[in-house]
Amino acid sequence: MIKKDCIVLSINGRKFKFSVGTGFGDVSPSETLTHTLRRRLGYTGSKESCDAGACGCCAVIADGEAIASCMALTVEMDGKSITTIEGLEDPIEGLDPIQQAFIDEYSFQCGYCTPGIIMVAKALFMSNPHPTANEISEALSGNYCRCISQYTVLRALNKLAGNENAELATFTRASDEVEDPIPVRQELYLSPYANGHVCAHSLD
Amino acid sequence: MKYRDIRQPNYRHVGNYTPRKEAKEIVTGKALFLDDFSLPQMLYGKIKRSPYPHAKITSIDTDKALKLEGVRAVITHKNMPQAWGLGLPVHRLLMEAKVYHVGDVVALIAADTLEIATEAVSLIEVEYEELEPVFSAEEAFMEGAPQLYDRFPGNHVDNGIKYFQPDGPWWQIIKGDVEKGFSEADFIASDKIKFDKMPAPLAPETPCCISRHDGGDEYTVWASSQSAHIMKLMAEGRIPNSNVSVKTFNVGGSYGNKQSLMTTVLSSCMLALQTQRPVKIVLTKPEQLTSYEVRLGSTITAKIGMNKEGFVTAVEGDWLVDTGAIADSVQGQVGVGLGEAQIVLAKCKNWFMDSHIAVTNRQAAGIVRGYGGQELNSCLERLLCAVMKEGNFDPLDVFKKNYISPGDMFTWRDGRTWKSRSSLFFKESMQGAADLIGWSLKWKGWNKPFAVNGSKARGVGMGVIGNADISEDNTEAIVRIVPDLVGGKRASTCIIECDITESGMGTRSNACKIAAEVLNVPYEKVSITEPGTKFNPSNYGLCGSRGVITTGKAISNAAMEAKKKALDYASLYFKRSADQLDTKDFMVYVRDTPNLSVPMFKLGPKELSIVGYGKHMEMFDIPSCMAVFVEVEVDLDTGHIALCRICGGADIGQIIDIKALEMQIEGGIGSACVDTAIFEENILDRATGRLLSSSLIDYKWRPFNEFPAYDSYIMESQIDSFMFKALGIGEISGAAGASAVLMAVSNAIGADVKEYPATPSVVLKAMGKI
Repeated sequence: MIKKDCIVLSINGRKFKFSVGTGFGDVSPSETLTHTLRRRLGYTGSKESCDAGACGCCAVIADGEAIASCMALTVEMDGKSITTIEGLEDPIEGLDPIQQAFIDEYSFQCGYCTPGIIMVAKALFMSNPHPTANEISEALSGNYCRCISQYTVLRALNKLAGNENAELATFTRASDEVEDPIPVRQELYLSPYANGHVCAHSLD
Repeated sequence: MKYRDIRQPNYRHVGNYTPRKEAKEIVTGKALFLDDFSLPQMLYGKIKRSPYPHAKITSIDTDKALKLEGVRAVITHKNMPQAWGLGLPVHRLLMEAKVYHVGDVVALIAADTLEIATEAVSLIEVEYEELEPVFSAEEAFMEGAPQLYDRFPGNHVDNGIKYFQPDGPWWQIIKGDVEKGFSEADFIASDKIKFDKMPAPLAPETPCCISRHDGGDEYTVWASSQSAHIMKLMAEGRIPNSNVSVKTFNVGGSYGNKQSLMTTVLSSCMLALQTQRPVKIVLTKPEQLTSYEVRLGSTITAKIGMNKEGFVTAVEGDWLVDTGAIADSVQGQVGVGLGEAQIVLAKCKNWFMDSHIAVTNRQAAGIVRGYGGQELNSCLERLLCAVMKEGNFDPLDVFKKNYISPGDMFTWRDGRTWKSRSSLFFKESMQGAADLIGWSLKWKGWNKPFAVNGSKARGVGMGVIGNADISEDNTEAIVRIVPDLVGGKRASTCIIECDITESGMGTRSNACKIAAEVLNVPYEKVSITEPGTKFNPSNYGLCGSRGVITTGKAISNAAMEAKKKALDYASLYFKRSADQLDTKDFMVYVRDTPNLSVPMFKLGPKELSIVGYGKHMEMFDIPSCMAVFVEVEVDLDTGHIALCRICGGADIGQIIDIKALEMQIEGGIGSACVDTAIFEENILDRATGRLLSSSLIDYKWRPFNEFPAYDSYIMESQIDSFMFKALGIGEISGAAGASAVLMAVSNAIGADVKEYPATPSVVLKAMGKI
């Protein structure tokens, strides 16, 4: 066994060198990657929820693979390249397409499990740009979401993957289905509170 | 009146999807949750918990823990700085010489780091003398059962409390003449049904808080609570003479379950008082599962009579409620449960429905989405099925006939009688969802599958529930039109002052949307103050699906007042009547001469904003309705149940945000709702009183790849709730799901299933195979 005094991790493209030990400020051999990211470096995007590798809230990407950072020891990550949710947005290009799709489809509610879900999805799309609907839901099977945003998450990811007819949830707005609606005054105005006159638009 | 005759308004913002204000922060990991936040000099708190369900503490030795470097305080029942109580009514102290449930508080530790605090927990040596425990309401009420608290003789919790029932306790539905009702019945069924596995709503973010003692009786608490006001109300009732300022962040899921967090908050406040430093306590997932609040245990023994037309003529019964070791707000839940029963069976004139609440040695039951209604409904609808089966009725017809319509009377949890002025179209919304699932083809009669393929049999089931809490509790808001300081023509902004936490429902963003609609300004120009009790007008909080409705009413009224002030100013400016004026994008213009317009910042006094105030006052006369239809496939050899499809139907009045609504409806699957009929339960080891389901691996939950198809059918009949005519739905969207699943399973296998959850062994037993 090789005993190391220090380890080097690349996190979101930046190199961090830590000394290993039990002294003040050292990374102890029992420190988890979640702990290092959240408490040491302030990358609080990934969450520490179950601390048992069961919920996926702490997921990050290590060398292209999604891992539960609460189950990974920081010392094991020596030499690896870690991407967290904070590192996904490109400073020039802007949001990652997955992040944008999550906004467009409203693929979250409380947003606590969202960083983990996005990182697992990102790892999947990195290795397989066009996953099937089954591959997507299988990849996310270790991610706990209790608000039930699963339908909108899958909708966003299936759209990105180009999967047609993968829709699991439908929403019928009854007023769209009223046949032969009784004609009412033509709706020229966007809001009843800007009611009455065309000048509501002429201001533009 | 027909649904097609209702004119659907064409709003600028309301009804459309608008990305949440914090959407970008959430997808980039920048959104702040409590555990992402710290204070300087903050300590970490930990709780030493009881391993026994009922025991006396005979000795407790904290020396070793105190000697550990970095430990700043160890508090036990012997050295509490002040005696703070728990429960409603207060029936115990935070720590006592006795413990009442596994996970009860034995000692509090504050230390420099989480690791030191955790180690100190194991260094506290406690000896116990075990006492006989009780694990259900039925046992607790038996003669000679062990007594928990002196405050509750016979383990019987007070029926009703003043806070929930201002005119006096209300805990029974007594109406008409039950004898006469049964004599008019053509079909009668009676049974005892239990929904008593006390499942956990289990938000991903565990309950957590940071408390700081600000001197005197003042505290500041940062908490993962969806309702800062409720926490303040409860905490000030427990800490004598205190003034508690509560602040909240994004809340990582709650489902009604993270409201007062009383045990956790009092623990951290006590440590903060002792150490004079801020103290953070974050429960671990096993602590959340074994020691935090779960659903009520519910057992009902009842008799229902129904006439030939399918109307319920009489209901007689007794509802036993297990609230666990701490009774905290349970009376409100019982009141709402009884109220919801009357909404579903609104045409029944004869009632005698009693209720009894027991304390037991299980972990405390608390508030959870469904709020008493789901726990009662899961039992009562099974019984309703029995009587419908006697008369061979189609349940869809029976639910339609018996459900509340405008003009029907019911008693709500405040003990007062209300007359419904809600939708005419609930029946149509039930039919809409029934059509989506293909009810007319798939309903083959009671205990009959609609398809059998080898060992796989399919069945359908349904359930309906309603709630009248959408307008509960008072709320106030201020809306300010803030002038642009350098005089940009349309650059003014709007600030809403209202105490709203974001816990996933999008209430803060909906509030902005509502103000933007009233003032006719861009949504991006409206923002809302940071949530907190101290510097905001009062808002009771997010509960009972009241969030958007009550804050919406206060905010729309406030925005109307601000708008009226702007028009009054402009009326002087243009020398025209305010009736001739209107607003758009922070401009006031003359309607028939649109080139006459003036920016709002020119109208008000220099530098000052134009301010409006609005409020909502409590009422309970607008019931909601949610119908859930499910299709299941049961493996007749193994007893495994697969949930294939769910269809939900509701008349929502008016959609405020279409995507947010969709997720409120689908969200009914989560937070210990639909799956409590199939696999979700807390498994109690009666020998030790401990849960076997104490981690996220052992507690069963539905993963991404096992989600059924979900189709929703939503009507918008413009209900008179507030300016934007909407109803709340989140409270009840999954509440009827569990009973619907058991109906579907019974139909698939051809035998009655009455036990929650219907695990494979329950199914095989019902079929007589084991």
